[in-house]
Amino acid sequence: MKLHKETRDIQHRLGDYCKTGREVSLPGVTEGRIKHYRRLVYNVVKNSMDQAYPIASSALGTVLWDELVNDFFSNHAPRSTQIWKLPHEFYEYHYSKNTATKLKRAWLNDLLWFEWAEIEVHTMPDRDVLPYNEEGDSLVDPLILNPEHEVLQLEFPVHKQSLVDIESHRGEYYVLLYREPETGRVRFIDLSVLHAFILMKVNEEGIPLNEFKGEIASIASIESEKYLDDYLRDFMGNLMEKKMVLGFAVS
Amino acid sequence: MKGKVGIGLRRDIANEIIDSEPIRPDFIEFAPENWMGIGGYWNRIREKAVSKYPVTCHGLSLSLGSPEELDWDFVSELKAFLDENQVQIYSEHLSYTKSKNAHLYDLLPIPFRKDAVDHVSERIMRVQEALGRRIAIENVSYYTPVAAEMSETDFICSIVEKSDCRLLLDVNNVYVNAFNHGYDARSFIDNMPLDRVEYIHMAGHEKVEKDLIIDTHGRPIIDPVYDLFEYTIDRMEPVPVLLERDYNFEDLESISAELDHLRDLIRKKWGVVHEAAQGNA
Ligand SMILES: [Fe+2]
Repeated sequence: MKLHKETRDIQHRLGDYCKTGREVSLPGVTEGRIKHYRRLVYNVVKNSMDQAYPIASSALGTVLWDELVNDFFSNHAPRSTQIWKLPHEFYEYHYSKNTATKLKRAWLNDLLWFEWAEIEVHTMPDRDVLPYNEEGDSLVDPLILNPEHEVLQLEFPVHKQSLVDIESHRGEYYVLLYREPETGRVRFIDLSVLHAFILMKVNEEGIPLNEFKGEIASIASIESEKYLDDYLRDFMGNLMEKKMVLGFAVS
Repeated sequence: MKGKVGIGLRRDIANEIIDSEPIRPDFIEFAPENWMGIGGYWNRIREKAVSKYPVTCHGLSLSLGSPEELDWDFVSELKAFLDENQVQIYSEHLSYTKSKNAHLYDLLPIPFRKDAVDHVSERIMRVQEALGRRIAIENVSYYTPVAAEMSETDFICSIVEKSDCRLLLDVNNVYVNAFNHGYDARSFIDNMPLDRVEYIHMAGHEKVEKDLIIDTHGRPIIDPVYDLFEYTIDRMEPVPVLLERDYNFEDLESISAELDHLRDLIRKKWGVVHEAAQGNA
């Protein structure tokens, strides 16, 4: 190492000051200037969090939100070379620190996850799609899903109702986020437990609906086969219109 | 690219650049970190921009001045990205953005010291070897020196010399630093290795206190910085010149006029003719 310990320590002390804002004395600095580094560094991080989490930040209010950002940046060493990925580290940090419980805002983890997922689906690299036909039978042919999607399982319905009173709605919720192929916009759809099961099965196993219709019928307690077929065709037809289902596998 | 005038590809003005309406650069620059490994809408925008314009890249996260080891995984991703986008010039800041392996996302001043010269020079050489190309390092704006044992010019010159890298001369940063630290901007330019300059940055800034300017890239270039630019280019061979503008994009016509003004000065001093300025881009 060509760098002397003294120089390295000085660099680290400036770095620590920018992270924590805790006063530091450094040799050979112009009075009153070091504070600008803390301000500039912190603003970059704060802006990145504000932009990523508009709902969470406004729900918590300025003071509390600032405390969360400050706590994160003071105590965590950001790994992302790309700052737009930093909000994910923020979510992971507060998840691991149980911040939601400490603040008595049980919905916070779900909300941060949901807001992050929107960014993730918007920016995730384009994924390969198997060749597909636009015509087919949604019960018989394996379906080709839009690969740029995520299904989240939430405890609180943060995607569909205001946060007021949300704690009384604790349960099991699913939301699908996907990227429209043409516009690149992220859409989300509230899913029932049954819908979530079907989508995950299609996604993971790539099999036609007919092959696990029995399971679907028992989960949904549907006895009429015709009713079930119509129900599934409707559901898939709808997802096809919305470009979440792209088409039918080429056999 | 020599004597051409480019602009930073920011998301707010990406469509106006791709359509050349109203912003008509000769080339574009972007930060690899803002565009690497993404898909969807912004990836398509990058593809369109890259297919239309020559490209330079200005890095953010390499952190040449950090005490800790370089991030070699990042360097190899970077190499792939530079190759894929046929990037003609890759530059980074002569500063550090990472301390104790924590990214800080802004440019901290390296102490101007001999051991730092050796340390940074060696890192630049290793990066150049890994990327298979020379890189350009940029003189950054700084608001206070830290534990300096030599002048800024000696610091920069020694590193350029030792690492055999190129220089990205940011003329606005020279102006900002001269103002903030009370030195003469022209003699700073005189002391730079102008034959090693590969690229020039021009930008606007913001005066936040009576004796302090912050390098914000959010305002138009001021006349004294244009004067310093003329003084500089009078003393060197043509290189590409970039207008850095990071926000405040309300008045696109005036940004376009800034590009034209840079072209006028370049035509006058370097005799370079710009096709884009004549509407053929
Ligand atoms: Fe610059």
